Amino acid sequence: MANASPLVNPVVKAMGEEPSFKIGDAVRISVRYPVGHYRVPTYVRGKRGTVTAIPYAGINNEDEGFGKNAGVKAYYYRLSILLTELWPGYTGGASDRLELEVFETWLEKI
Amino acid sequence: MEEHDHSHDHDHDHSPIESPGDVPPSYYEVMETSLRELLIEKQLIAPGEIRRQLEVLDSRTPALGAKVVARAWVDPEFRSRLLEDGRSACEDFGITFYDDTKLIVLENTDKVHNLIVCTLCSCYPRPVLGLPPDWYKAKPYRARAVKEPRAVLKEFGTQIPEDVEIRVSDSTSMVRYLVLPRRPEGTKDFTEEQLAGLVTRDAMIGVITIEPVN
Amino acid sequence: MSSTEMLLKRLPNDIGGVPADPIVQTDHPLLPWEKRCHALADVLDFHKIINSEEKRRGVEALGTELIGKLTYYERWAAVFALILFEKGILHPEELARKMAEVQGRHQAEPAS
Repeated sequence: MANASPLVNPVVKAMGEEPSFKIGDAVRISVRYPVGHYRVPTYVRGKRGTVTAIPYAGINNEDEGFGKNAGVKAYYYRLSILLTELWPGYTGGASDRLELEVFETWLEKI
Repeated sequence: MEEHDHSHDHDHDHSPIESPGDVPPSYYEVMETSLRELLIEKQLIAPGEIRRQLEVLDSRTPALGAKVVARAWVDPEFRSRLLEDGRSACEDFGITFYDDTKLIVLENTDKVHNLIVCTLCSCYPRPVLGLPPDWYKAKPYRARAVKEPRAVLKEFGTQIPEDVEIRVSDSTSMVRYLVLPRRPEGTKDFTEEQLAGLVTRDAMIGVITIEPVN
Repeated sequence: MSSTEMLLKRLPNDIGGVPADPIVQTDHPLLPWEKRCHALADVLDFHKIINSEEKRRGVEALGTELIGKLTYYERWAAVFALILFEKGILHPEELARKMAEVQGRHQAEPAS
């Protein structure tokens, strides 16, 4: 199949269709305390990592926990975080890492 | 693993699913049974759905994951597809996913060792491995795997050299993980079936490595 | 920071990194009702009657005592009941009557 030419008049994307971060971005996980339900563990909040993948777009799992099954989607980002970043005095390999997925609204570009 | 034809219709069987008659059901078993029957009476779920899902669950065991690993060991193109999109590659292999979860396959190498955990609950790649062991769902593993993975691995008898990077994946979303262990030494002449026989659940969780053969 | 603040700020299941015991490699084959409970969870999620995330939230909301004292699938059964009540799909009286009926059904069976 021949390569498609880029559109002369690019489309306007819907809300949430464009990832806010790209692979390789350095990000920081926000610090905040949602009451009732969350999927960002306390131990990673405020920590810095690198985006290694953008596995999918979905609705916010904090809302999903209260019965929301449809709505505006945003991306989940797979982050790689050094264990030395998470745990002061970590005594394992200096490049040992944690990897986890975090919803877009929890991330800040650094 | 024997293949079953699941196309026959179970919906005609409306008999209640009971536990063995000589053991009184516990309070929570009575609750489960009652909830199920009420939901069926209200036609919110169909009579055969639970029975069918029980069969689906029974058909999901570590043997499936072992077959995927063995195939990845012998077929570089499959391995590549598996690492690119775990769910798709498994589906091509005949392992359907009955939910919306995604699968990332984590490749162990001479430089990287992966293990998987769910600190917040018990997320686990059930469509391809079946149900997780109790220890995976309990506090010690969930609390410690992300903080002291090397000590945790030692408790499983696994020693990873200092110069090998450990990566712990913590499930927090719809993504699930499967560790692709390293193919052990001494298996060059093994058939795919023999290779699959070497792959255990714990190797696909990443708490053990597969020992060399003789 | 007051001591009660942490009770809401940190969910009981949020245990990554906390001190814990050595791992005891226990496992048990699921009882038939536990398997049925798991199948029920999957079916409820397919239909989005109770999605998986709601189930997790429901378990978190049980609080530390129930979480600590009920087994894994006992927690799920309790959560299904509570969420179905919240949604008006079932009423507490309905469930209570049905549970009495199911309990009575077993007692009515002749001894084997």
